[in-house]
Amino acid sequence: MSCSDHTLLHSQSENGHDIAVDIERSELYCCSCSDQVYDLDFDKVVVAKNIVDMPSKTRDSVVDDLMRRSSKRRRLNSVVDLDLIRSKFFVWMRGRRAKSCYPLGLRGLNNLGSTCFMNSILQALLHAPPFRNYFLSERHDRETCRKRSSDQSCLACDIGVIFSAVYSGDRTPYSPAQFLYSWWQHSANLASYEQQDAHEFFISVLDAIHEREGKERNPNKDNGDCQCIAHRVFSGMLRSDLTCTTCGFTSTTYDPCVDISLNMDTSSFSSVDVANKSVRPNEDTGRSTLLACLDLFTRPERLGSDQKLYCQNCQEKRDTLKQMSIKRLPLVLSLHIKRFEHSSLRRTSRKIDWHLQFPFSLDMTPYLSPSIVRNRFGNRIFGFESDEADISAEFEIFAVVTHSGMLDSGHYVTYLRLQNQWYKCDDAWITEVDERIVRASQCYMIFYVQRMLYYKANEDLSCAPMPSRRDPFVPIAGCC
Amino acid sequence: MSVPNEDNMSSHTQLSSHFFGELLDSIIVDVASECHRIARLGLDRNLEEEEEELRLSAQARVTVADPSNSGETNGKYVVDIFGQTHPSVANEVFDCMNCGRPIVAGRFAPHLEKCMGKGRKARVKATRSSTAAQNRYSRGSPVSAYSSYSNSTSTNRLSNGTYNHTVEEYSNGTCEEP
Repeated sequence: MSCSDHTLLHSQSENGHDIAVDIERSELYCCSCSDQVYDLDFDKVVVAKNIVDMPSKTRDSVVDDLMRRSSKRRRLNSVVDLDLIRSKFFVWMRGRRAKSCYPLGLRGLNNLGSTCFMNSILQALLHAPPFRNYFLSERHDRETCRKRSSDQSCLACDIGVIFSAVYSGDRTPYSPAQFLYSWWQHSANLASYEQQDAHEFFISVLDAIHEREGKERNPNKDNGDCQCIAHRVFSGMLRSDLTCTTCGFTSTTYDPCVDISLNMDTSSFSSVDVANKSVRPNEDTGRSTLLACLDLFTRPERLGSDQKLYCQNCQEKRDTLKQMSIKRLPLVLSLHIKRFEHSSLRRTSRKIDWHLQFPFSLDMTPYLSPSIVRNRFGNRIFGFESDEADISAEFEIFAVVTHSGMLDSGHYVTYLRLQNQWYKCDDAWITEVDERIVRASQCYMIFYVQRMLYYKANEDLSCAPMPSRRDPFVPIAGCC
Repeated sequence: MSVPNEDNMSSHTQLSSHFFGELLDSIIVDVASECHRIARLGLDRNLEEEEEELRLSAQARVTVADPSNSGETNGKYVVDIFGQTHPSVANEVFDCMNCGRPIVAGRFAPHLEKCMGKGRKARVKATRSSTAAQNRYSRGSPVSAYSSYSNSTSTNRLSNGTYNHTVEEYSNGTCEEP
């Protein structure tokens, strides 16, 4: 035991006494390295000591947390790989007949009357690699499906038809009329010729596919690990931790999700800026970023005193801290930006028009449950977490759905990234755009796919070499 | 903050100044220690990549905002990458799968809405005269129970298309073709 002045002298005078302990912070310092050092056993002891001091029920929940191993590790479906092989062959076959040197699968969709919300999402689905591979290799058997239910529409069948049409090599815009008809039959409450929300449509389509496929593929009604194509591709798992602020007891629940809806960080500018009048409170300061939204999503949130929750340990209602994290990432990560702001005071709703920066490469590691939980315990080393690392958290963007205009009347456009070239899909019009246009656009839904799947997918679509670089802001006419 | 000349200070001030220094050091080391742990254990985010993305984004916005760049031309009037042009209202014609009539693509949705008896206008029709409506709709239109209109109480919906306020007039007793 000594103060910092004597520590150095002591290690110099005594042999082998190089390690010192910072008792305030429970950290180790090595006098030979002149640096703070880290040790697994030491961290285990520190954490164990903290646990021992907790009330018993809290302790049990914490130990469960720390000892929890990644349960059903999600195997990157061998089935998904099989789809990939089949679809590669399909694409290669079609590629030989294609009339242009642009990637297959690029085809405009006619607007059937305020249906750009539908077209924009369809374009994203048409290019979601594992989803695409499934339908291109015709894994959804339309014959048997039709026999099984003669008059009921099947959205999966209709999507299969769209895939065939869009990847056929025919470049004239396609009208997804049958699909609209089927969708209106499924979603009666959304069936009308008027404003629609693209995100709502997205959820509704996945739900319809699940309803249809879920029955055949999950005979055991095991909803935890649904094998329908919608869930296999888009479904992940969120973890929600509720911590009692009085005793520290944490209860954890898991919920599957097919996308993550993110609030924009409206507090991204400091109060100093507002006070100095250099920023008006609702102005776009250009600092909103996707990572800030994800930080906000996983930040511990103190629930209001009107939202006290029952704590099993204290046996009464207590103020609670809530924290979200991602337990399991999907193959395709769909992020929805909540641009709708509702003021209960003024009974108005408005659209938040700010630009949101989003990266083309996204590393989701900091938002995974192990990272969030570890951070809660001071980032101590836990040896048994290494098996989480083999599930990739690295993603690449492949589609962005943007919205421009007002809340009630606006227009959706989708940007697709195929083989590192961005394309703008504006209903029937497909044009090439520079990536800067995409970066500057107002994103509403952003679609990322796991990096390995992205690279694999982009091998398939190769055709003749791309035309050389021109003025990036001028749309390029077809070359052959 | 200038370093106080210790000779001139009372021991009281000296002591409080010393405490302050200790507290400040402690706070600084807290933060440094946390950051060091994160960096050394490889838990930190790839800041260079993140900053590169931010830089590219800022640069993009500047370029796009610059009026001297021709920018994105209005999608409806350009030639697409395949060399095609398209009218602003899609003019492909196909048969409606509900009633069998040939319909222009760009007008298919409003047609289908009436054809299927769905949507706002259909509901307005139904409420105006219940018996007349029942007679109309019992003649084989596929519909049914309308679920209540889901309007923007569901938050975070962004709409497209113009909001059409017109309501059709009905003369008494005439049947409306769906």
